[in-house]
Amino acid sequence: MASRKEGAGSTAASSSSTAGAVGKGKGKGGSGDSAVKQVQIDGLVVLKIIKHYQEEGQGTEVVQGVLLGLVVEDRLEITNCFPFPQHTEDDADFDEVQYQMEMMRSLRHVNIDHLHVGWYQSTYYGSFVTRALLDSQFSYQHAIEESVVLIYDPIKTAQGSLSLKAYRLTPKLMEVCKEKDFSPEALKKANITFEHMFEEVPIVIKNSHLINVLMWELEQKSAVADKQELLSLASSNHLGKNLQLLMDRVDEMSQDIVKYNTYMRNTSKQQQQKHQYQQRRQQENMQRQSRGEPPLPEEDLSKLFKPPQAPARMDSLLIAGQINTYCQNIKEFTAQNLGKLFMAQALQEYNS
Amino acid sequence: MSRFFTTGSDSESESSLSGEELVTKPVGGNYGKQPLLLSEDEEDTKRVVRSAKDKRFEELTNLIRTIRNAMKIRDVTKCLEEFELLGKAYGKAKSIVDKEGVPRFYIRILADLEDYLNELWEDKEGKKKMNKNNAKALSTLRQKIRKYNRDFESHITNYKQNPEQSADEDAEKNEEDSEGSSDEDEDEDGVSAAAFLKKKSEVPSGDSRKFSKKMEDEDEDSEDSEDDEEWDTGSTSSDSDSEEEEGKQTVLASKFLKKAPTTEEDKKAAEKKREDKAKKKHDRKIKRLDEEEEDNEGGEWERVRGGAPLVKKPKMFAKGTEITHAVVIKKLNEILQARGKKGTDRAIQIELLQLLVQIASENTLGEGVIVKIKFNIVASLYDYNPNLATYMKPEMWQMCLDSINELMDILVAHPNIYVGENILEESENLHNFDQPLRVRGCILTLVERMDEEFTKIMQNTDPHSQEYVEHLKDEAQVCAIIERVQRYLEEKGTTDEICRIYLRRILHTYYKFDYKAHQRQLTPPEGASKSEQDQAENEGEDSAVLMERLCKYIYAKDRTDRIRTCAILCHIYHHALHSRWYQARDLMLMSHLQDNIQHADPPVQILYNRTMVQLGICAFRQGLTKDAHNALLDIQSSGRAKELLGQGLLLRSLQERNQEQEKVERRRQVPFHLHINLELLECVYLVSAMLLEIPYMAAHESDARRRMISKQFHHQLRVGERQPLLGPPESMREHVVAASKAMKMGDWKTCHSFIINEKMNGKVWDLFPEADKVRTMLVRKIQEESLRTYLFTYSSVYDSISMETLSDMFELDLPTVHSIISKMIINEELMASLDQPTQTVVMHRTEPTAQQNLALQLAEKLGSLVENNERVFDHKQGTYGGYFRDQKDGYRKNEGYMRRGGYRQQQSQTAY
Repeated sequence: MASRKEGAGSTAASSSSTAGAVGKGKGKGGSGDSAVKQVQIDGLVVLKIIKHYQEEGQGTEVVQGVLLGLVVEDRLEITNCFPFPQHTEDDADFDEVQYQMEMMRSLRHVNIDHLHVGWYQSTYYGSFVTRALLDSQFSYQHAIEESVVLIYDPIKTAQGSLSLKAYRLTPKLMEVCKEKDFSPEALKKANITFEHMFEEVPIVIKNSHLINVLMWELEQKSAVADKQELLSLASSNHLGKNLQLLMDRVDEMSQDIVKYNTYMRNTSKQQQQKHQYQQRRQQENMQRQSRGEPPLPEEDLSKLFKPPQAPARMDSLLIAGQINTYCQNIKEFTAQNLGKLFMAQALQEYNS
Repeated sequence: MSRFFTTGSDSESESSLSGEELVTKPVGGNYGKQPLLLSEDEEDTKRVVRSAKDKRFEELTNLIRTIRNAMKIRDVTKCLEEFELLGKAYGKAKSIVDKEGVPRFYIRILADLEDYLNELWEDKEGKKKMNKNNAKALSTLRQKIRKYNRDFESHITNYKQNPEQSADEDAEKNEEDSEGSSDEDEDEDGVSAAAFLKKKSEVPSGDSRKFSKKMEDEDEDSEDSEDDEEWDTGSTSSDSDSEEEEGKQTVLASKFLKKAPTTEEDKKAAEKKREDKAKKKHDRKIKRLDEEEEDNEGGEWERVRGGAPLVKKPKMFAKGTEITHAVVIKKLNEILQARGKKGTDRAIQIELLQLLVQIASENTLGEGVIVKIKFNIVASLYDYNPNLATYMKPEMWQMCLDSINELMDILVAHPNIYVGENILEESENLHNFDQPLRVRGCILTLVERMDEEFTKIMQNTDPHSQEYVEHLKDEAQVCAIIERVQRYLEEKGTTDEICRIYLRRILHTYYKFDYKAHQRQLTPPEGASKSEQDQAENEGEDSAVLMERLCKYIYAKDRTDRIRTCAILCHIYHHALHSRWYQARDLMLMSHLQDNIQHADPPVQILYNRTMVQLGICAFRQGLTKDAHNALLDIQSSGRAKELLGQGLLLRSLQERNQEQEKVERRRQVPFHLHINLELLECVYLVSAMLLEIPYMAAHESDARRRMISKQFHHQLRVGERQPLLGPPESMREHVVAASKAMKMGDWKTCHSFIINEKMNGKVWDLFPEADKVRTMLVRKIQEESLRTYLFTYSSVYDSISMETLSDMFELDLPTVHSIISKMIINEELMASLDQPTQTVVMHRTEPTAQQNLALQLAEKLGSLVENNERVFDHKQGTYGGYFRDQKDGYRKNEGYMRRGGYRQQQSQTAY
């Protein structure tokens, strides 16, 4: 299995390199603001990430690591990477920063790019839009403007197509995160929706010419069977999993909305009370005036009516983002399968 | 502790004394050897800055002072404590000692303490009066100090040869002491100074005599240094130390001090003394003469007096006193007054009371008095243990049983005796035989207490020992007594009392399986052909009938809620134990105990838990898995079954509770012979959970919202899954898990072999009274549930299936299969129809696939999401107008409902 995966990864890499670019980016307008318009990844990095997951990641556990490279013109070239060590309970005092510095220093000694340009993370059925990712990417991007996060989907990769995507936070979201104000008003003002949270940066996988030649040669020599499983439907398990995860998110979303709803109700109720109070006070003052007494002193209304705590909207944004990814995943998956079904039908008719 | 009775050696001089006898005890030389507390070290303590040496030494001197004080008041226990502390402190000071050499005062205290102890040791009379703790401490301390002093031998001998003395201090002390002692003398006994002086002069002679003896026995003593017999060296009361003491001390001082009398007085003795001084004096004279004779005969006289307080026999009444009721009652009151007081030897008290009974019966004082004394004997037997937690010694227990039996004999034989706790002391009638005798005391309380003691004994005995069996044999006696009392009270007692004794009876009956009745049930008509012996055996009342009778009485007459609750619970338990499930269940439901049991006290709650468990097990035996599961759920789901049933404490909560709580909990424990087998309980629970859960899981495999029936069962399954290597099952749980796995596949044969096999038989099933019946029931259940599971799991791969095949597969007869399948179809669990002519089940492809199921659920969730979202939107719209919101709510609800309805339609369409 492992070898197959490895093989799949490498062929994908080689094919992409021969093809030139496999930009999966939707090319959303956001990327224009940033200097980096393209991410160029070395084959080495891709293989290292795949290997890392292969060795340490399993199930829902994710693996993470640091990307090294440099910015050239409008390209971010990622030339190397190294993994974060897996956390265990007994080394709680492990200093991560120290470890990274050590690692980079050592790499520098062997003349490897040592500039920190982002990080990578594996994902489980595309569930990566989380608060943790947002926070760490924010801190990365805050420190290093051009840093990106590479999301590697091992499950999709195992099915035959390398799934590697580079994301970064949009400038808008960066602003919001900087403010640390996730109240409904602030988000409204920032005019941010789940679609504008992350922007995808197109990826190019580049290999040296020597490797390309080698790959070419290998391809010629290798006796890979011609038998192509073109029409095999990917396992429905995948779809089921995706649906299940999607359902969980929808549940969360529902809860979030209910929470927000209660908040709204509370606010409006309080508004009403406030209004009534003001009116009563006004009336009283009028009466007093008519009686010739001094009006009652103005009281601080905000003290009397403390506005209820607004629920943070960031979570719901994230959930929406996650739902979006799931939907796209499912769409992609079903689209492929449907295509295959139609093809199979056509073949059937042709044969009979 | 009193030294009221003098030592043998002093007795001659004493006997000539006309006044009070005063104890002239060689308390001793210790004063003379008072350390030089005001040495340089002591003075140093006043400084603020102290060297390590000073600090250590001060610690030591402080301890030494306490020891001396303790010695003065003859508090050996205290001495022992302090001595141990001293040893530790000395250990700490070791480094300094190494530098400075062993401090003199330390050596001094060691030597003195040893002397003092030996002195005490010799003093047999004093020792005997010492309370138990002190006596024990004395022997421990004596051994300890001997061992300890071995290390300092050279120092001590050195010291003894050349004792330092601070003359003025000693003198001061002596003065003080003598003053104190004479004061006390006067206070207590009114001894005149002259008498005091006289004694003083007498003592030396006694002393010298002693010393000469000591010399002779010195060697002997050193030989038996290890012995801890009470009489030790007996009259050969000597130690080398005392000799040395003589040498090193000014003779005068020692003599003077030796006269220091004890400050403590035996209260009992004092009382008696006051009452009949004259009588006693006479008495004692005789006694003393006897003693003297004995003394002359040899050293062994002490042994005779050993532990037997029989010596006190003559003390009871003077010879020739006319034994009348008044005298006996007076005596009884005297003895009773000492009860509960400190320093009263409870064992002696019991002896005395027994003697009194003897005397009373010898003199034929009538049953009234005897009954009264017997009541008191039993009461003091209960009193014997000062601590509530400790249990009676076997002898005591036997004595207690015997006494109660005797008491019952008397009470039954003499129906004209009325006993009752409400009879006042004044209105007692003990000797007027014309009227009915009235005695204060409650036989019921005694019996209840006896029962509690029995429980305590059982709780404190190791249940796996032979001892336990021995104790358990007493249960028959206890039951017999309870029965007697019951009969007695049925004639004489009030309803309250009858209820109480009935409850006792019930408590001794409910947990016993009535094998005889069971046998009779099995073979009802052939009873006639049985032999005579069998007939006789069968004659006893069926426990069921008995329970019925007792409980009904309690239900009708009891006025305290607690007794009724207990009776109901026991009744249910008894029903359940004998597989009368419906009666047990009805009683439980009718009593409504489930609603308010949490307000009951813990023992009743434990009883309730036991009953519920028994009920569950009973349901299981009847094949009512669901009821069994429900009954056991509460107990099992907590994981604290052991604690809830009062069958042991959990280690986990040990740190959460303090000692006091632990004691209380320990007292609540149920004796071992009442225990319900926990493994059986768990197995019953797990098997019933398996029979319920596995088909349920199969039916709702794709349902995301399915709930677990039994969390614990799932937990066990998960534990089983987590195992990296699955060997053949060992424990009961593993068996059940393995069986569940087999059942999941519909493989009933494997399941059967896992549930019923040698191991499980030994562990669980053989524990049931009707094991075979239970096993056949289980097999049948497994077959049925496996069939259901099979249909749920594999219906999707069948278009149709012949019922005959099914009946072959599961070895069930056709009608059963038919009925099971019909039931499933009716309950809409299985989408199928029966084709009667061909006897087949035709499946309807209606179950959605996993994806479809998921999609349906997702659609539902999205529906609610949209609804929620719209609610938010509504708010945005209507922020200002709050008052017609309710109206709007209603409107929206309708809309939502309709929309959902629409969804439903779509769903059903997609499903097909």
